[in-house]
Amino acid sequence: MHADQLSWNVVSGWNAQGAIPDKADLILYFGAREALADGKRYRELRDMFPDAHVVGCSTGGQIRDNDVSDELAAISLSFDRTTLKIATAEAFDAASSRACGESIGAALTSNDLAGIFVLSDGLNVNGSALVAGITAMAGERVPVTGGLAGDGAQFRETLVGGDFAPRKHAVVAIGFYGHAVRIGHGNAGGWDEFGPHRRITRSAGNVLFELDGESALDLYKRYLGEEATGLPGTALLFPLRIHDPKQPERNLVRTVLAVDREKGSMTFAGDMPEGWVSQLMRGNFNRLAAGAADAARQSVAAFPQPRGSDSIAILVSCIGRRLLMGQRTVDEVEAAAGELGAAMPTLGFYSYGEISPHGSSGICQLHNQTMTVTTITEAAR
Amino acid sequence: MHRLFARQRDKATKPNGEVDLDVLGQLVAEAYEQTDRDHRRADRSINLMVEELDQLNRALEARVSEGTVALGHREAELRTQNLRFDAALNNMSQALLMFDASARMEIVNKRYCEMYGLSPHDIKPGMTLQELLSIRKSMGMFAGDPEEYTSELRDLMTRGDSVTQYIDVPDGRTVAICNSPMPDGGWVATHEDITERRRAEEIIAHMAHHDSLTDLPNRVLFQERLADTLLNAKSGHHRLAVFYLDLDNFKAVNDTLGHPFGDELLKRVAGRLRACVHENITVARVGGDEFALILPDLADIGEAATLAQRICQAIREPYDLLGHVVVTETSIGIAVAPDNGFLPDELLKNADMALYRAKADGRGTFRFFAPEMDATIKARRALENSLREALYQGQFTLHYQPIMNLDDNRIICCEALIRWNHPQRGMVAPGEFIPIAEEMGLIVAIGEWVLRQACADAATWPNNTKVAVNLSPIQMLNARLVPVVIGALASAGLPASRLELEITESVLLQNTEATVAALYQLRSLGVRISMDDFGTGYSSLSYLRRFPFDKLKIDRCFISDLSKDDEDGLTIVRSVTALAKSLGMVTTAEGVETEEQMDLVRAVGCTEVQGYFVGRPQPLKDVSRLLVAALPPQAKSA
Repeated sequence: MHADQLSWNVVSGWNAQGAIPDKADLILYFGAREALADGKRYRELRDMFPDAHVVGCSTGGQIRDNDVSDELAAISLSFDRTTLKIATAEAFDAASSRACGESIGAALTSNDLAGIFVLSDGLNVNGSALVAGITAMAGERVPVTGGLAGDGAQFRETLVGGDFAPRKHAVVAIGFYGHAVRIGHGNAGGWDEFGPHRRITRSAGNVLFELDGESALDLYKRYLGEEATGLPGTALLFPLRIHDPKQPERNLVRTVLAVDREKGSMTFAGDMPEGWVSQLMRGNFNRLAAGAADAARQSVAAFPQPRGSDSIAILVSCIGRRLLMGQRTVDEVEAAAGELGAAMPTLGFYSYGEISPHGSSGICQLHNQTMTVTTITEAAR
Repeated sequence: MHRLFARQRDKATKPNGEVDLDVLGQLVAEAYEQTDRDHRRADRSINLMVEELDQLNRALEARVSEGTVALGHREAELRTQNLRFDAALNNMSQALLMFDASARMEIVNKRYCEMYGLSPHDIKPGMTLQELLSIRKSMGMFAGDPEEYTSELRDLMTRGDSVTQYIDVPDGRTVAICNSPMPDGGWVATHEDITERRRAEEIIAHMAHHDSLTDLPNRVLFQERLADTLLNAKSGHHRLAVFYLDLDNFKAVNDTLGHPFGDELLKRVAGRLRACVHENITVARVGGDEFALILPDLADIGEAATLAQRICQAIREPYDLLGHVVVTETSIGIAVAPDNGFLPDELLKNADMALYRAKADGRGTFRFFAPEMDATIKARRALENSLREALYQGQFTLHYQPIMNLDDNRIICCEALIRWNHPQRGMVAPGEFIPIAEEMGLIVAIGEWVLRQACADAATWPNNTKVAVNLSPIQMLNARLVPVVIGALASAGLPASRLELEITESVLLQNTEATVAALYQLRSLGVRISMDDFGTGYSSLSYLRRFPFDKLKIDRCFISDLSKDDEDGLTIVRSVTALAKSLGMVTTAEGVETEEQMDLVRAVGCTEVQGYFVGRPQPLKDVSRLLVAALPPQAKSA
């Protein structure tokens, strides 16, 4: 396997760090919605790499090696003994998300399926249901990683493309097949919970109305103060940690995707089951960066050293972390890169939700406010 | 340096290594705003959380007193609540303390003890702020008076306003303390270590006032200091002197060796300047290769002259720059206050004028300002300014002087010679403006224009007539020369074989390796290379061995007095042509003014002639007409 970073700018178009590789099986590309919307970048990549799958999405910022920027980032991957398959589906609303996941899982499932990397529309999908659907059909042993596309802090429209120009409502999954491919993953948050526990007393799917019998939206407004005008974006500063009271150790972090001020409701990126217990969280820059390092460490635990351009790390981190950390966002990317090693190419994006197996249970699910790292390489012959 | 600040500095650094202070300032301000916003969020959420947990506790207590909850259950719930509260408090990045109305501490978190190196055993709820500060004072962690501080703070808190103070801890850190009153008369204090932030502010302030290359004060700080020093001098009734100096030929170092060498040279010069002067003298870098000094208290003029002499001498010593020995000199202009003015700008201007005079008088020396300098310098300044404009205003033009082949009396080449048509002064001789252009660093741009224009003109000539273009040493050593030549040929559509580049042997005096490499590169394109003015310099034959020139141009001084009785002269020309022939070069006799001279040089073996006899330098249209005729008129009559 071989990975080559690609970059694009207005003056010289696409450039590779070395020569533009002549063989590629998969191109991953990430960029701001505005940069991808006209489909030009997709078509250029399509023309440059006619035999490769070209998969990408809109984001809240790109991660590349040691830096975070708003510029387009891409990477070309070629494999020696791994085959790839692309499955796509349309997700129009939260209710159809499970069916959407099932169709993808069914399309990709096979005895030698080694892993799935999925990019999904970030606003019209219940990510938990999507992942549950994929896992139901592909089997629980298959790691599913990836993320929900982003739209900066605007939450207006997200785009995903897989061998077609990026568009909204799309879900694209890449299946990796064979015995040579090795897929590692890691996921961690690093947020600190604070304040009282609050029970979810009224919700419907991923829409939350009340905590402890009081309006959840009012609670957020109170904590945000003057920043409440920036909802739903600013709600990312205070994620909610939730858990089933019967399984307090299996907790999840949820972030807000939308608010409805009239109904007083908040829509989260995943399910908010009634009866579950929630607690507000806030971020400390150093502990968030330590969380990113932790995720990176998990993802390469089983990878041989040294790691170079025969491998790749795909970093999907939550937009909420970038909004909170501002210029200090680079801290978390540096912390992750420190664990991965300088020679390992890294690429990634800031997302509206991260998909990765859960640290302790191993069950694939949607995460929020985390850094997830997917690492891919091929075993030596 | 803090990692964030290092990143901001990298982002604000331009490709040439200069730091863009505006960008840096913006990034730093934005980062502070982000941090401030985060602190406001933290403060707000801590206060809300304290409030909420407090309410919960009260509600529980109320329920217990109403007998609705069993005692054991209540204790368990309270304990859980308090554990959560503790966890939240102790995970904060800021130190937090809560005091009641009598200034007794109710709550303190771990971070507070860590921040001041206190043992958690010594710090117990119930102690007063004064006691707490006394402990800190005994450990060298508080500089003020505990009693005074406590009473002042309590006054402020009773007034009900939040107060933020910046306290310098004796160990060198700076801590921001925010005290916010609570409704019950107590208050909450948060402490945050802002040492890094302070340090970044100091670094930026330093960068705004210092030159990043030499770390000397920059122009801004120099002017501030000059204004202050002038005020002191005025009130103390003493004199001060301002030195303005620059390096002679600094541009040549930059152009020939490259910017890294130029930068290194500036650093070394700055070091020597600092070493020359007493520490009460301000040494500043005020421009590219310009430095300025303030001598704050001058007993007599001789003192300034002695220092100037010492500086000239110190700067003159050779520099070993990364293995290259470089020699430079400095010229110094000196203005004295109050004699030559009492305003900072006036003094600087006058020192600058004296500097000009020092340069005109032969460089490597110093001059005091004198009022009559004004006029001469204004004239030279005017010339410089109009020279800067000339290229863009299209005031340069090329004249061409024909070169004739003695075998068939055909004009085979024309040498391009620049003319400056000054709007007020008329034609200015190249000898007057080329040295100034070289000094100003304009020669590279002018040379490029000449190359392009000459190639374009030559492309219109018949019979494959060549064009010869002179290269100045500075131009020759510019790394962009080869691409410029290629560009000129390509845009004119002129075959490289029709371009001759003329260089003098002084070109080979410096940086020989790079020069010879460039010459070979040009030659490989098909361009022909001539040695110009041969015989006037060192005439070292070793130069001829270093590079196989296509042509040797014998300087006019050997030709202009040539007659058939001048045996010595003829012998010299004969041996030079023989030597050239044996090395495979053709020879051009320059400055041929008579038919006799032409016959003589033909007889001793010269292959080409150039001079008034063949044709004067003339405008393009005249030389074109000449070329269209099959043979030039002089040759026909010969």
